[in-house]
Amino acid sequence: MTDLILQALYSGLLQGGSYALIALGLALVFGTMRVINLAHGELVLLAAYIAYTVESGLGLNPAWAIPIAVVVVSLTSAGVYGIVSRIRKDREINSLILTFGIGVIMTNLILLIWKADVRSTSSSWLQEAFVVGPLYSMRGEAVFFIVSLLLMAGLWWWLSRSWYGRALRAVSSNREAAKLMGIPPARTELVSFIVAGMLAGFAGVALYSYGVIQPAYGGALTVKAFIITVLAGVGSIPGVLLGAVLLGVAEALTVTLASSALQELAGMMLFLLVLFVMPNGLLGASRRRG
Amino acid sequence: MNARPPGLAPVIAILVVGYGAVPLLLGANQYIMSLIVAALVIGCVALSWALLGNLGGMVSFGHSAFFGVGAYVSAIVTLKAGLPVAAGMVLGGAGAVLASLAMLPVLRLRGPYFALAILAYAHIFRIVATEWTSVTGGSGGIGNIPLLPALPPNLSGIGMGGKTGAYLVILTIVLLFALAYRAIRASHYGLALRAMRDSEDATRVVGVNSTLLKGLMLMVSAFMAGVAGAFNAHYLNFLEPDYAFNGVWVTLPIVAAIFGGYRTITGPVIGALVVYLLDQIVFKALIPTGHQLVLGGLLVAMILFSPTGLLPLLPSLRKSASRPGRNDHA
Amino acid sequence: MRKITMAASIAVLMAAMAAIASRAHAEEFVVGAQLPLTGTLARVGAGMHEGVMVAADVFNKGNSKHKIKVVTVDDESAPAKAAAAVEKLASEGAIAITGGYGSNNISPASDAANKLGLTYITSGGVDNNLVNSGRKNFFRINNTAGYEKAVLGTLAEMGAKTVSIVFSTKEATSDLANSVQKALTAKGVKATAHSFDPAITDFKPIVNKIRLQDKSDVILMVGYENDYVGILRAARVLKPPVKALIGVWSLATPKMATEFPDLMPNVYGTALLPFPATFDTADGKAFAAAYQALYKKEPDYLGQFGYVQSMLLFEAIARAADKGTIKKGGVAEELRKTDRETLIGRVQFGANGDNLNFVHRMAQHQGKNIVIVWPASNATGKMVYPGKPW
Repeated sequence: MTDLILQALYSGLLQGGSYALIALGLALVFGTMRVINLAHGELVLLAAYIAYTVESGLGLNPAWAIPIAVVVVSLTSAGVYGIVSRIRKDREINSLILTFGIGVIMTNLILLIWKADVRSTSSSWLQEAFVVGPLYSMRGEAVFFIVSLLLMAGLWWWLSRSWYGRALRAVSSNREAAKLMGIPPARTELVSFIVAGMLAGFAGVALYSYGVIQPAYGGALTVKAFIITVLAGVGSIPGVLLGAVLLGVAEALTVTLASSALQELAGMMLFLLVLFVMPNGLLGASRRRG
Repeated sequence: MNARPPGLAPVIAILVVGYGAVPLLLGANQYIMSLIVAALVIGCVALSWALLGNLGGMVSFGHSAFFGVGAYVSAIVTLKAGLPVAAGMVLGGAGAVLASLAMLPVLRLRGPYFALAILAYAHIFRIVATEWTSVTGGSGGIGNIPLLPALPPNLSGIGMGGKTGAYLVILTIVLLFALAYRAIRASHYGLALRAMRDSEDATRVVGVNSTLLKGLMLMVSAFMAGVAGAFNAHYLNFLEPDYAFNGVWVTLPIVAAIFGGYRTITGPVIGALVVYLLDQIVFKALIPTGHQLVLGGLLVAMILFSPTGLLPLLPSLRKSASRPGRNDHA
Repeated sequence: MRKITMAASIAVLMAAMAAIASRAHAEEFVVGAQLPLTGTLARVGAGMHEGVMVAADVFNKGNSKHKIKVVTVDDESAPAKAAAAVEKLASEGAIAITGGYGSNNISPASDAANKLGLTYITSGGVDNNLVNSGRKNFFRINNTAGYEKAVLGTLAEMGAKTVSIVFSTKEATSDLANSVQKALTAKGVKATAHSFDPAITDFKPIVNKIRLQDKSDVILMVGYENDYVGILRAARVLKPPVKALIGVWSLATPKMATEFPDLMPNVYGTALLPFPATFDTADGKAFAAAYQALYKKEPDYLGQFGYVQSMLLFEAIARAADKGTIKKGGVAEELRKTDRETLIGRVQFGANGDNLNFVHRMAQHQGKNIVIVWPASNATGKMVYPGKPW
């Protein structure tokens, strides 16, 4: 039994790292602009399909797809910002529906271009076992877990040290005041979308490397990302990691101790529980109630 | 704020077209009638969604929860307890109301949090429906659900029976709900709710119990969507978790309501008819594998250029030519 | 005088038109194909569609008296649209429907076909409710029982004493899994069942349970392609001490072998034909040739099913046309009299429309090939047992 639980915790941890990478972009944009990009899952999926094209078309390891995916998805993300920035009033709600529509468009485009087949990496190296004592995982999972930790650390550093990073935080806490201090809000928001796109690029390639992709997955990814954003609390990067790991571990434990049919239920219940009990999220700081 | 009642003429026109022209002229074409019935079901959910948004001030991304619960409750009580279909549909609506009671705790949440919390509920209900095999038949679903009662032969005219009968039932349901919506909006509650939408704090100061009102609106919206779900179950005679709680019951009503104008009462229903029929008859023929793309594009265009919908644009274009500066608020 | 000439020429014209119309009617029959070409079942629908079109091609080439025209309507993987698709096809003159995938879509669609008096044949609905609800014009060429027989037969030949069944909670998969579990338990084989939500991507916790608790001889996977990939990956990492891994549909395919070469070795799955495919019968050769010509690729199991069901339907239509009974329910009558060898074995329909003889075949990935290993009468090679992908 202990072996089972240990493995569940380990699997949950690794899975949490990947979830965190997927959620990070959404959390960043939400923290800066209070806009939920419901097309975020599709951005991640797009990166995953780019990885597929690189692997099957050029025969290279999916890791080579990272630069291409990052560039393409960042540009797409900037495009999404361009559309969202045109909303005049009720930005919070209208952006929800708008990005929702963009998500529908992207899912169907992906379906048209890449067809409905199920895809994943065929690279042997990534699928080989990586064993640490009684804990098992795929090499791909371990590698991308480290990558996501590094990215999160990098993002955290960028937000606290660099000019644009601090500008983002300023705009997120008070847009008008930031403007008065000379920070261009529109440009800052664009930066947040681009950085979110970069993160989605990494997340997509990672997803392709350890998981299976299908055009219909975009929506589910967005929902997971949003659940984690809520768990994290607004404006907290460590919160995203914590929330994601919590979700991953909850799912793995549900599968191990209860029934694997209830995995999704665990996520949803956790989400609602946090909303009821800690509306500011685990590490968040601002108002949630209206 | 304009409380001018619609003239008698449009109402009579709707009744004549709905109850007379459509069944007589189109009743023979099963395919078109199928599309119209499906569009009206979407329209009913769109109406309930718009009601929640307008009167309750809450956007929901999980109306499929109410739809599915209504469908299952109605199917189970008619199949296992032998109740008549009409009673089943009402109970389906009641079941959806009970489901909405479980959602009361999330009423306090703001905009996007509420929208996605409802979605979480929809997922939970779906999983419950899949796992509670003894009651809901699990993932296999429930088959052979009792049909809607057939129309007496002399009323069904051309003898189309089932399909035309179903059409008349859903039409009546939608019209009744639209009337109820109008009644609520015109009442004291409606006034309070619209004030709340503009500023909840101000209305609270004046003594309006905003949480209670919002809860009531959630229940009304749930009831409507639940009845739509129940109708659909009896119309198709078949139900299963993935279909009952499918995302399509979330996305299409939103597109329909936004397109038709979610601030009006007729907007969502007309939007549903236009969008659904256009999609199935025109777009599907033009772009067989990707016509759903057009729906997404439509949604984006709507939000950018006319968030209050496309249809309200038409009369206001006319009116603005003759009466500049008139504010068309619902 | 002019009036008589006018009347005469109109009469001649009308007679000519009637002759042309009736001749065209005798020559060409419209058959509707209702399939999911978009939505979650798009991949399956596309595969079956290819089989249907190949059948029309082969039939038309081989039959000079009657021609079949296939009209396709996408049902978008949705029940209401499936019924609407059948109605649309009926309004376009279809006299029968071939297609459908997923019992939840086939149920309302075949009901609609029934109301319109159209025969409905499918290979996509294995749920038993479809044939137990009294549908009169409903036919299907495969069923859960056939898959069950293949699985049980293979397990018996392996002599497995303990089996772990991992299955998706979707309807078709859980039906099959529960059936198999009951049958195994009745035979004294210990069968533990693990159900999983279709959204699961990390199967390590489940496979770990199997490794540490069940300690079975064989793992039986009942799911879809993405599930197989996940389970096999988890198994390769955890390396449970099993002797074989068996799946059902969509696993023993050339596509899986080329896309996931590390996961497939020695894995079993149901398959109608070996790979490289060898066709011995004239029917089979015509099928393979037409498939290659139309789609430039090897047929897969979906195409094979689509082909067989449509061919049987077209032949029944031809027989009914010859007897002149098309308008009087002749198609269904003739279809029920079917008794012939096909690519999937001998097909005969019972009173409820089910294919009585359907028994699937179990195949195994061996190297780059797919070898049929059960039943012995169709086997093209021997089982490699024990055999794992690691």
